Amino acid sequence: MEYFEPKSISEALSVLVKHGAEAKVIAGGTDVMVDIKFKEEPGSLVNIKKLPGMSGIKENGGSLRIGALATIRDLETNALVREKLPVLWEAAHQFASLQVRNTATIGGNICRASPSGETLAPLLVLEATGKCAFSDGEKSQPFTSFFQGPGKSVLGAKGLLTEIDVPYPAAGSKSVYLKHAVRGAMDIAMVGVAVLITPDPGKNNMQDVRIGLGAVAPTPIRAPKTEALLRGKPLTAALLKEAAALAASESSPISDQRSSGEYRRWIVEALTRRGLEQTWKAATGKEVA
Amino acid sequence: MSFTINTKINGKSISASAEASTSLLEFLRDTLEMKGSKLCCNTGECGACTIIYNGMPINSCVTMAADAIGAEITTIEGLADGDKLHPVQQAFIDTGAVQCGYCTPGYIISVKALLDRTTKPTTEDIEEAVSGNICRCTGYNKIVDAIHLAADRIAGRA
Repeated sequence: MEYFEPKSISEALSVLVKHGAEAKVIAGGTDVMVDIKFKEEPGSLVNIKKLPGMSGIKENGGSLRIGALATIRDLETNALVREKLPVLWEAAHQFASLQVRNTATIGGNICRASPSGETLAPLLVLEATGKCAFSDGEKSQPFTSFFQGPGKSVLGAKGLLTEIDVPYPAAGSKSVYLKHAVRGAMDIAMVGVAVLITPDPGKNNMQDVRIGLGAVAPTPIRAPKTEALLRGKPLTAALLKEAAALAASESSPISDQRSSGEYRRWIVEALTRRGLEQTWKAATGKEVA
Repeated sequence: MSFTINTKINGKSISASAEASTSLLEFLRDTLEMKGSKLCCNTGECGACTIIYNGMPINSCVTMAADAIGAEITTIEGLADGDKLHPVQQAFIDTGAVQCGYCTPGYIISVKALLDRTTKPTTEDIEEAVSGNICRCTGYNKIVDAIHLAADRIAGRA
């Protein structure tokens, strides 16, 4: 196995152009080291952990710019993340264990493109974008169109995610991230649901509503039909029931060792219902009518 | 491809070679013959390999040896001062928080990292600090007792 420790983003990109297909990018290592030990060694390893300028978290007008090398613990302990992006903070706080949070990076969690990646449903409802660097230029890619399948993203073998731009939700918005797993810590989500509601100025209707689903499709997804059903309306008991069932039908979960597909669909329904109800109450101060 | 790792472990400068695929745990155990950090799941789930890396507890089994370059590392071997055990080690003995013992070095390191941050940990702090450590003998209550005792002793409350 060849090993590269590029000193700059452009150097990393040229290594990837040359070795892309058999190269693996490593940062925190919490996933890649497991692959090396239990699957197979890649032809070459490109360690980007020490690339300069890629780990900061800074405010940029109405958004937060998070370097791809920021660790999950960096997010969890960042006051701006907690205050402005609580749904992302909740995911960071529930992420694996302290040891893993201290090393795993947000860029790694995204680029791994696992349907169950903890930060992904929150990033989808926050309508975050990734700055993707390629040897022939850079482009900004919304995460709603970033993932292409388990382990696959628009980065392909030659791109590098350098920064994540997360716009602050509109004033008055409330959000929640609900994870269903057997154990509290160190468990991969069977289902993760992120909900964000922006009320109208009179707090009578859902001006905007976004639902992100994790671990229940080949990629993390939004639930656009459910969102369209809810938008512009007040949350009534009948609507809540209909929306939760619709969200479950928008998912396409597999059966695996963690749970059956059928069970996951039930959980999508339950967590969507719970998430909408909680968020509606928090955003409007009203009970579900 | 092998390269040289210059690092500082338990206050001592160390230089040795490693492969790109070598984990920090393998580097400690196999290259440096420091067997205190334990190999168990090798996937970053059980915490038996926990070390303190630049002040933070991490799983050494899923960290590249290469990442030790320029870092400051504390392992279980670095806690005792000669024959005098670290207060966390002594508290684990005094409360009977050790059963088969395999998870113990990882726990002690996680707890040391916690008590380096605060000597008045809340229940939530404790749960967070050891959430990545698994004791398959399931002796968790004694471990929590040990953490409280160690905290009290370090802070001079006991």
